[in-house]
Amino acid sequence: MPADRIPSKESAPDDRSSFMDSARRTTEVEPILTVHPKPGVAKPNPILTMDGLRRSFGGLTAVDIDHLEIERGIVTALIGPNGAGKTTLFNLITGFDRADRGRWEFNGQMVTSPSPDRLARRGMVRTFQLTKSLAKLSVLQNMLLGAPHQIGEQLWAAPFRPLWRNQEQANTERADELLEQFNLAHMRDELAGTLSGGQRKLLEMARALMSDPALVMLDEPMAGVNPALAQSLLGHITELALSGVTVVYIEHDMDVVSGISDWVVVLAQGQVIAEGGPWKVIHDEVVIDAYLGRRRAGTSS
Amino acid sequence: MDFDIIFGNAARAAFGPEAIILALAAIGLNIHFGFTGLLNFGQVGFIMLGAYGTSVAVATFGWSLWVGIPIGLFLALALAVALGIPTLRLHAVMFAIVTIAAAEIIRILIGSTDAIGLTGGPLSVSFDAGAFFDLNPYADGPQDRYGVGTFAFTGQQMWVITVGWLLVALVSFGVFLIIRSPWGRVLKSIREDQDAARSLGKNVFSYKMQALMIGGVIGGMAGVIDAIKTSGADPNGFRPQVTFYTYTALLLGGTATYLGPVLGAILFWFLREWIESFLRQLAAEAWLPGAIADFLEGSEGIISVGMVGLALVLLMLFRPQGITGNRIEMQLDAR
Ligand SMILES: Nc1ncnc2c1ncn2[C@@H]1O[C@H](COP(=O)(O)OP(=O)(O)O)[C@@H](O)[C@H]1O
Ligand SMILES: [Mg+2]
Repeated sequence: MPADRIPSKESAPDDRSSFMDSARRTTEVEPILTVHPKPGVAKPNPILTMDGLRRSFGGLTAVDIDHLEIERGIVTALIGPNGAGKTTLFNLITGFDRADRGRWEFNGQMVTSPSPDRLARRGMVRTFQLTKSLAKLSVLQNMLLGAPHQIGEQLWAAPFRPLWRNQEQANTERADELLEQFNLAHMRDELAGTLSGGQRKLLEMARALMSDPALVMLDEPMAGVNPALAQSLLGHITELALSGVTVVYIEHDMDVVSGISDWVVVLAQGQVIAEGGPWKVIHDEVVIDAYLGRRRAGTSS
Repeated sequence: MDFDIIFGNAARAAFGPEAIILALAAIGLNIHFGFTGLLNFGQVGFIMLGAYGTSVAVATFGWSLWVGIPIGLFLALALAVALGIPTLRLHAVMFAIVTIAAAEIIRILIGSTDAIGLTGGPLSVSFDAGAFFDLNPYADGPQDRYGVGTFAFTGQQMWVITVGWLLVALVSFGVFLIIRSPWGRVLKSIREDQDAARSLGKNVFSYKMQALMIGGVIGGMAGVIDAIKTSGADPNGFRPQVTFYTYTALLLGGTATYLGPVLGAILFWFLREWIESFLRQLAAEAWLPGAIADFLEGSEGIISVGMVGLALVLLMLFRPQGITGNRIEMQLDAR
């Protein structure tokens, strides 16, 4: 269990400029900057590739994506107005909802029978727009649930503590580190139900990291979080990418996005209408139109 | 009115075989409902298969009791698999409906006249539990009594009680061991939010199935004790209310606790028998108007069950976590 997956608070860059200068900029992010910013464009090293993904509810097409790639090792923001299909897209990819049609590939492997738990075990973990912290379990127990490959989670081994005591110990140490980083250490033994909304978002994110995932998908991690906590959440997201984890997060506020995203994908009415570097996208006329609720360019009524 | 007799009767019920059977049934149900959140409304089905599996193996097929017991437990396990595979993926309410229906269907089939050759049908089945009572270390003469006043058991009863409570202790300890483990932690996460468990890589179906099987086999053990105690089984003993009594005991004692189901079963039988004895004595009091005495006469059992139900309602209102439950955990439910 690598303890240094996420740099601790002290070593993390705490202002944007030093972050911009960090090594990651050249090794991971520079290739993406050369990608031509247009919807569905191919990327140098994608971790997730979607094709013809479609999901409709009755007459409403919630998601309809021709082609979309998510670059490995960077922070991608998925933005779009309310009801654009962002959460539905997350649900499809992570196996919580069934697509009407379409295929996607994760980490070089086609996802054939999408089951949420199997995908999670393959390294794709998500959080939920409405947090799913387990209220009646302690904060620490929540964290321990996130740990992968637990011997003690198998029935035959469960009654025999010596078989799983050491692993549990190691997982607890890892959990304590993460709780420390996410400023939740003081709540360690409290029931998760006693946390504030923002703390629950932090807990859910920290819990997702227990498995050392390859791809973390965060659904509106900043929503309902007070500004001080939101700031530290943003910090955690950049730190994650620094440690090599791919992050995709949903946000509908465009202003939050520019600070921490390496790449931005804009969804409107289920379709990718723009993607590119944050500054480019945010000043894109099509995007501004979508946000202002105007008819999209080129579509007739 | 002799309160010694009333308390004696109540204590005898609270520690007798009926309480053991209820305790085992409730321990099993606690794994389903308490720890995993499975709404099993057919716990009686598992008890019934445990009892009939044992009885039929010995009475109809003439096998040894020591073969019959595993057969009873195996049938309970098989019921868990048969119920679980089609329904555990469905909504919790579907599962509840299927369990209650399945238990009734099994009871009707067992009790049908077509099944007379196999199960005794409506006539019930009886067998010789000698293999069990041969091991009885208690002197079992017609005069031998263990206890004081009406709180006393025969030698045979003592043997059932000794083995039964030992089994309850062993099973409770086993449940403690698996529930405090990471495996038990996954069950609790499923109880609270299946999707959260899935998002953390847990195979929810598999865990629910394991829980259903373990709780079902423990329910089967209740049936085995029942069969041995009565040297047989009767279809009328396995009506749906058995499941509801089991829920009552579990809720009285406290769901999702280790000792709750056991304490609840003891308390259930104590209260029920105390009220029934009390009413029986009351009906015999000379000063009671004839109409009331006539009403009480013979309906003590029904009234006492009603009173236990009332106690449960009051408990849910004023102490919803049961006797042993945790109040703070309970309040988090309201969110
Ligand atoms: N389970 C569902 N049933 C019917 N409509 C749904 C369902 N889930 C989402 N939708 C609809 O699909 C559209 C996209 O929703 P969603 O993905 O939640 O948007 P976003 O997360 O971008 O705000 C919305 O119009 C929403 O009403
Ligand atoms: Mg959403």
